[in-house]
Amino acid sequence: MSLNIVVAVKWVPNTQVVNIDPKTGTLIREGIPSIINPHDLNAVELALQLKERYGGTVTAISMAPTSARAGLEFIIGMGVDRAILVTDRVFAGADTLATSYTLSKAIERLKPFDILVFGQETIDSSTAHIGAQTASWLRIPYIYYVTDVEYLNGVVKVKRKLEKRIEVYELPIPCLLVVAMKSNEPRSVKLSYKLKAKMENCIEIWTNNELGLTRECIGLRGSPTRVEKSIATPSVPRKKQKFDGQDVKTAVKWLVDKLVEEGLKIV
Amino acid sequence: MSTAGICPEWDLIIKDEWRGVWIFVETFDGEVNEASLQLLNPGRMIADKIKAKLVGVMLGHNIRHLVREPIYYGADEVIYVDDPALSTYTPEVYAETLISLVRKYKPEIILAAGTLRGREMIPYVANILRAGITADCTDFDVDVNTRDLIMIRPPFGATLLAHIRAPERRPQLSTVRPNVFKLPSRDVSRRGELIEEKVDVPPPRIKLISSEEVKVEEVPIEKAEIIVSGGRGLGSPEGFKLLEKLAELVGGVVAGSRKAVDAGWIPHERQVGQTGKSVKASLYIAVGISGAAQHLFGIREAGIVVAINNDPEAPIFENADYGIVADYREAVPALIEEITNRRSR
Repeated sequence: MSLNIVVAVKWVPNTQVVNIDPKTGTLIREGIPSIINPHDLNAVELALQLKERYGGTVTAISMAPTSARAGLEFIIGMGVDRAILVTDRVFAGADTLATSYTLSKAIERLKPFDILVFGQETIDSSTAHIGAQTASWLRIPYIYYVTDVEYLNGVVKVKRKLEKRIEVYELPIPCLLVVAMKSNEPRSVKLSYKLKAKMENCIEIWTNNELGLTRECIGLRGSPTRVEKSIATPSVPRKKQKFDGQDVKTAVKWLVDKLVEEGLKIV
Repeated sequence: MSTAGICPEWDLIIKDEWRGVWIFVETFDGEVNEASLQLLNPGRMIADKIKAKLVGVMLGHNIRHLVREPIYYGADEVIYVDDPALSTYTPEVYAETLISLVRKYKPEIILAAGTLRGREMIPYVANILRAGITADCTDFDVDVNTRDLIMIRPPFGATLLAHIRAPERRPQLSTVRPNVFKLPSRDVSRRGELIEEKVDVPPPRIKLISSEEVKVEEVPIEKAEIIVSGGRGLGSPEGFKLLEKLAELVGGVVAGSRKAVDAGWIPHERQVGQTGKSVKASLYIAVGISGAAQHLFGIREAGIVVAINNDPEAPIFENADYGIVADYREAVPALIEEITNRRSR
């Protein structure tokens, strides 16, 4: 018994350090480092735990610009055996349908796989579409919000958490699991593994030369949705009173006075 | 419609054959989900603008006593499948059943609540139909000429709203988080057609072994009267302990921004904003929150908004009623002390 596990990850701008330009209302992108989507690290951790318990290999896959190589080195540092960077200019501008199409065609090249593991959502767009969409292209069963997994004789038993329920499901292999955010503690990187990434060429680059996908199905052209325009957010009228002064004690007195005037029963 | 240059994986469609606005109405826990019924509100607006029928679509087992509800809230018609094979939810079975109905009736628009199960099954539905889908829309409009749904959502981080269309494909799908739209009023005198459909429900490939209800003990943030909310500016999870003290003192609850959730400082159930929850608290105290559009969206229905932030340029001050520029490590304890002192007077 040995599992072929594939984990998908996204290379995203680190939103924890992104700031908004107060004058233009746009994102200050300069110098923002990218990271592996933190919720995908929960997926990597789960994949590695499955490998440790049941044996097998873990392959990471990411559709991203070539700069994502650093992210894949990080994941190999966590203990992933092999990483594939799906990268090509022709994939750019893809919406979730075209992204999941490209990703699923790349994953098909990793057949026969047993378990695909995805993060719940990304910190930069948080659609949570890609897991379900990839399962639909591959026509394999799937389940979201997984917190625990057991494997026995071709059956994957998962526990998952909904708003008000805890459920247990059994899925046959191959299947796709979407891991609940924060459901485990992703391990840290081991230097020896990371060196291995540099030494042994564990990262493969797949362009559309390898995948051979029709241009109409990928990138912007393969995307049914179009971002038409962006308009300023209508803002809710607020009083916009700012305390003028440095002394914190005076400031909070002013604030409590204001809240009492508003009729709020806080004191 | 031009079909030149279409992906061979996509089935050809004739856009004009697709008519009607569908709301997928969840009945997963034996009751009609309020978040689904809220969508009859934008659904009615869209349907009226393009002179289309507004249809509630329901799947489940033993749901016949529930199927009039969408009519009471504004639907013209309800199409439902009541089948023992739908007594337990699995994403694929529910999605495939809905897809069968979509292929038969060809609706041009489908809106669904962005509940956990909605977010799990609706992207699958969209993909099988090779249709465009957007998540977490905050508003809609419709182009009366092309009948394109204009799906509006704030893109990540920005203070701008993106308008998204899927001009070549039908249906057009969107999910909407609970409480983004107000529930229309319920009128039991409203009449509409009920259509029971029989669908070959596919056999499930995955099996539900157990489903247990869990008690949720804390007051959910969408029901709280006072919220003390923290963001990235707190710098650490310890900052939330201070916010909890203040919340406890004023009888409120603690919530957080997306960044606080991504940092793991507060659970996702307590996230305020477009990708979290919309709140209606009469007092919302934002501590160390910069005020991205996605966050501001979640507090548009809040009463008084207070901002505490050490960055005088933070957009939150332009979107708050009262603001204090200060380090929260000083301001929050001072506020706690001030309130405590006034009470003991």
